[in-house]
Amino acid sequence: MNYLNYAAEAFILIPLAAVILNNILPKKFMEDHFHILSGAAALLQMAAAAYIFCIMDINRMRHYSFFILWEKSTSDSGYFSVGPVALVFLFCIGMVTFVSVMIAIRTVDTKKISYVNLLMTLLIGMNGMVLVNDLFSLYVFLDIVGISSFVMIALYQSRKGLEGSIKYLVISELASIFMITGLAFIFMKTGSLSYNAVSGVLPADISDPQTILIYVSVILMIAGFAIKTGVVPFHSWLPDAHQSADTSISVLLSGIVIKIAGVYGFIVLTGLFKGVRAIQISLAVLGMTSIVVGALLALRQDHFKRIVAYSSVSQMGYILLGLSTGSVLGLIGAVAHVFSHAAFKSTLFTNAAALHEQTGTLEINEMGGLQSRMPVTALSSVVAFLSTAGIPPFAGFWSKLLIIMALWTTGNRVLAGCALCASILTSAYFLRLQKKVFFGPLPEHLSSVVEIKGSIKFIEILLTAVTTVVGLLFPLILVYLQSRGWI
Amino acid sequence: MLITGFLMILAGCYCLIRTYHMLKIIIGIEVAMKAVTMFLILAGYMNGHMGLAQAYVITVIVLEVVITVIAAGVTIGLYKKYGNMDIRNLTQLKG
Amino acid sequence: MDLRGGICMESIIYVTLVFLLVFCVMAVVSNSIIKSAIYLALSSAMLGVIMYVLGAHWAAVFEVSVCSGLVTVIFISAISLSKMKRDEMDKLYENKKRLSFLPAALIIGGVLLTVAAFAKDFRLPAAAAAVSEDFREILWTTRQVDILGQITAILAGGIALVVLFQNDEQKK
Repeated sequence: MNYLNYAAEAFILIPLAAVILNNILPKKFMEDHFHILSGAAALLQMAAAAYIFCIMDINRMRHYSFFILWEKSTSDSGYFSVGPVALVFLFCIGMVTFVSVMIAIRTVDTKKISYVNLLMTLLIGMNGMVLVNDLFSLYVFLDIVGISSFVMIALYQSRKGLEGSIKYLVISELASIFMITGLAFIFMKTGSLSYNAVSGVLPADISDPQTILIYVSVILMIAGFAIKTGVVPFHSWLPDAHQSADTSISVLLSGIVIKIAGVYGFIVLTGLFKGVRAIQISLAVLGMTSIVVGALLALRQDHFKRIVAYSSVSQMGYILLGLSTGSVLGLIGAVAHVFSHAAFKSTLFTNAAALHEQTGTLEINEMGGLQSRMPVTALSSVVAFLSTAGIPPFAGFWSKLLIIMALWTTGNRVLAGCALCASILTSAYFLRLQKKVFFGPLPEHLSSVVEIKGSIKFIEILLTAVTTVVGLLFPLILVYLQSRGWI
Repeated sequence: MLITGFLMILAGCYCLIRTYHMLKIIIGIEVAMKAVTMFLILAGYMNGHMGLAQAYVITVIVLEVVITVIAAGVTIGLYKKYGNMDIRNLTQLKG
Repeated sequence: MDLRGGICMESIIYVTLVFLLVFCVMAVVSNSIIKSAIYLALSSAMLGVIMYVLGAHWAAVFEVSVCSGLVTVIFISAISLSKMKRDEMDKLYENKKRLSFLPAALIIGGVLLTVAAFAKDFRLPAAAAAVSEDFREILWTTRQVDILGQITAILAGGIALVVLFQNDEQKK
């Protein structure tokens, strides 16, 4: 039992230790070896998540509460706890952080120590968000994630970076204001803001004026989380922020931050207010419009990273559709899509980094026919595209199938049909991307481009393998989880 | 008192929309955060749990200060790049 | 609380609320950045008074010292680091239409407040029976997670300052 405690505390203590180590050790040593420290932190996080899953599975525990650095004094809201959803998110966080560090070996040339510091702070914030038991602490760690990502986008002080950072900052602060206002109204009604106190506080009748207050606060919180997720109509900051950051930071932003900051908030909200029709309808509407509008906007773009950013908007819509069903199958589909989206979005951004390193540009009109010169990048990009579009046997197929099945079984047949048809739009913009970048004639100024070497190639191969293997083994995983009682 | 809070948030958002000066944007965010603090204290007063509300308010104030510092830092960085504080200059990312 | 003390407290709150609203709107509307910062500090002070009267003594002290002090200092230093020439500043605002609907909303808000004050017969929203809690105990025993969060936020802020202001070595 003690090892479980150590492993659980590690989620917060390892990044803290990394920050301290980073600043204590001599500067030259850190600059040469910064990837070892941050890569080790990411790997340890993945290992801790897997280890906790194994122990909890053997002992058939479902939740585990723990404290860090102090003892439990009262039974309310002062502790962290790990559950099944949290474990998947923690593993995804570790995976995307590892990918980001691997990309950063090649693309981050200066300010390495600050990068590691900020990355560790971001890790603390994200881990804290999925581990807490209190709505206000959720907001505190959400703000920490926001702070770290603002500074990371502005890390290189370029014009684009600063501009993307300030746009993201202003819109994100608007989201925070909505959220705290919602929290204050809920606090007015109940005495505290822990999950235990808030759950089930929404009574059925609408005529009571206090219920209107609770409804208003829930709407405000949905708006706040929707802005942070980047769904339509609050998506205006997302392409600017993701395009102007350095690629290793875009991976983090698109691969995990919008999911932790936004989707996890929605998971918490739907967990607390079960079965409220208004929430389900609003989530479904947000999801459907995001899928369609994100895909349509992605068709018009000419910059690789912007297309990928709009694709993120579209995929977040799928996850929201899965959450809007309110059923367990929808939740499983949404969480599975979080994982597979993290995998294929990381692959796409790794390809962007490779393309930028080797060709020096990211405008797709200037590229073409790179499949013959950069075969590994092309193959991983094609695999990512197939996974996004939901083609078997990759991981994206299973998660989309679960979401569509959840929609079908809870009676939203129209939505299920629309989601299926929207896959065609997804395929459309990705096909355009693939055709322009990798297939087609090779322009002369790119004829001397060679394949990317080193860590980025390694990550591309690894992520492709992960997507394929998880896709092949997915039914077995589901059967195993069901037999052990997790689902 | 709720009315005052709503008007303050409205004023903050108006400031965000209509202003051209970058530091005014930060002032707008600050005004809206003050409204939020007032809501929290009001909720604590009506609820009886004043201690808990004060803990929330202090945490929110700490976070607000950090955000202000970062916003000011990014704004000064932008000033050094462009030479003035007009946000109409931020047209690099389009589409 | 006897009637005289009750009316005194209510009227303090209403007067302060009106001042708070006035200062906030002036901060938003005013054309000069320095005046906006000063109005922000004044509205922080008003908010501190309201919080003190409502019973949140520690939070009032914190708010006045931090927001009136620290944030204003940050603003003034940011303004002085980014000094624009006078004529550029005027050119910035010459094309801007002065929408007057915000002062109109202010006046309507003030009227609504006075009407509500008279209609409710000088009563605040009903306060629940105060659960007597010492705020420091609350902060240290149940909200330790928030303290961890605050420490991390301050750490992140420090790192951000280092990152955002060390730009002179890499350029040129």
